[in-house]
Amino acid sequence: MNIVVCVKRVPETAEADLKIASDRKAIDEEGLAFQINESDNYALEQALLIKEDLGGEVTVLTAGPEASEEVLRMSMAKGADTAVRLADDAFADGDAVATAQALAASIKEMEYDLVLTGCMASDDGATAVGVALAELLGVPHATYVVEMEIADGKAVVGRELEGGLVEKLDMKLPAVVTIQTGINEPRYASIMGIARASKREITLKSASDLGLAAAVVGAEGSRTQILGLDYPPVGEGAEILEGTPAEASGKLAQVLKEKGFA
Amino acid sequence: MPTLAEKYELLGCIQCGRCTAGCPVALRTFLNVRKLVYEGVTGPGPKDAKERPEAWNCTTCSTCTERCPKGVKPMELLIGLRGAAIEKGRVGPTIRDALESTFKHGNPWGRIRDKRMEWAEELDVPVAADGEAVPLLYYVGCTPAYDPRCQDIARSLVRVFSAAGVPFSTFGTAESCCGNEIRRMGEEGLFELLVEGNRELLDSHEIGTIVTSSPHCMNTFKNEYGDLGCEVVHYSQYFDRLLDEGKLSFGGSVEKKVTYHDPCFLGKHNDVFDPPRRVLECVPGVTFVEFDRSRERALCCEGGGGRMWVEAEEERGERLADTRVKDAVALGVDLLVTACPFCLMTLDDAVKTSGSEGKIEIIDLAQLVAEAL
Repeated sequence: MNIVVCVKRVPETAEADLKIASDRKAIDEEGLAFQINESDNYALEQALLIKEDLGGEVTVLTAGPEASEEVLRMSMAKGADTAVRLADDAFADGDAVATAQALAASIKEMEYDLVLTGCMASDDGATAVGVALAELLGVPHATYVVEMEIADGKAVVGRELEGGLVEKLDMKLPAVVTIQTGINEPRYASIMGIARASKREITLKSASDLGLAAAVVGAEGSRTQILGLDYPPVGEGAEILEGTPAEASGKLAQVLKEKGFA
Repeated sequence: MPTLAEKYELLGCIQCGRCTAGCPVALRTFLNVRKLVYEGVTGPGPKDAKERPEAWNCTTCSTCTERCPKGVKPMELLIGLRGAAIEKGRVGPTIRDALESTFKHGNPWGRIRDKRMEWAEELDVPVAADGEAVPLLYYVGCTPAYDPRCQDIARSLVRVFSAAGVPFSTFGTAESCCGNEIRRMGEEGLFELLVEGNRELLDSHEIGTIVTSSPHCMNTFKNEYGDLGCEVVHYSQYFDRLLDEGKLSFGGSVEKKVTYHDPCFLGKHNDVFDPPRRVLECVPGVTFVEFDRSRERALCCEGGGGRMWVEAEEERGERLADTRVKDAVALGVDLLVTACPFCLMTLDDAVKTSGSEGKIEIIDLAQLVAEAL
């Protein structure tokens, strides 16, 4: 079972006081720690689990700047066999579809049974790359997958819906599956493991390597364009309940009853 | 590839069992360090060593190593077994998260570096400028920096330095995890990375003395970082010195009956038993009562060895911290004093879980001293 995992390097923003960059098209990344996109990490783990079960090879693929290679190295330390970075200025600033074009061109050169990727990137929240990728590859797809079983060239997946419902789908392979967090428990990549992985080769592919015209990828190939980022307006509606714990909880109970939550 | 027996010099083991007999968690988990040494001698090499989840229950108190009559270091073997699990990526999610956080943010608590000095917000805490000489470096530590309960330790220490008129500096948000717990958890690579970064920072300043809040930081800086060209002490040793030199005096008093819990990394690992006791005896109003299990025999609180981030395996019976708190209550004391942020947290939680609320309070030595200033 040969699996391609598409991963992205994103900033960790949990506690940070984010600032918008002066051109208003992105956030100021200074001082932020970077890591693999959370749901991509779960996708990688799922690929490694399938490989441990059924054998085959895991290729990890990213479209990004040189700094993205740290995510590829970490993935190889965890057990990915091959790493590819789509390295070309032409790929920069692509929206979901433009990025998918580049990824699809690279994947078409590989022998694969399954493409896994995270359901959503935590920086732009587009949730569209996996779906566009499936369309461009001409294969079926399923998104927000929280359960997965592979047998006899087919996948049975469970998609997370609202209210705790799970939709079960039978899928013929090859297919693209976007993975939701919580499907597994990702393993740890040790520092020594990552150091060893640093000695392994990362294949670089340019737009011309993949036969892609610049007009199809990156900013030029994007159908959507960021006009600007703004801070959310500081609103009202947050009420601090004063008093002792007993008094405050009484007030809280009242609010919950009034608003119909209890 | 050396065998486990070769790597950890296990062949001297006579299987006497003093290690397991002294192991505090052997009472309540399946950890049997004598058996692990036996398997290390007779079994396959580290790569094929059987996975031992109970190895994560060890608190690295070092009782086993102290008691061994043959100079074998069972604790080092245990850390090695953890390391083997780490290299395979097979560790519990809470351990994984602590290690990843330390790599990304320089602390195991999942907090960002920018907020490392929030504890000092209302105080005027000096931060060393690049390359500045620092006669006294206060190494705050990740837990006193970020944990709300332990931030008071750091604030108390600053108040005491002020009262004693002692100029000091910190590294501010440039300070990173010392790595003591990282090494105890078996992540040798991350530990070495931390040492490299910390040594670069330390070596770029001429430092006279490093004072730490935590015995864990003191332990690794003193014993595992190589020659730092300066002395490394825990704050209890520094306070002892200040009192001895007449630089610290008390304006108030604390009219309480107290006992003292020896932290494993201060006592067992580094033989610092008397300085905290001398400091306690100097605080006016304090009546000091010794635990039966004191000094080398102090009952480990189960906070060390990475245990703050470990979901313990198959525990039975009473948590050691609960036992310790109940023993303190039985002594009839008002305060259980300790000198380690992990001990403080575990014993404080144990006051609640042992049903001793209202019967006793846990306090750090620094807080007690600051209170009596």
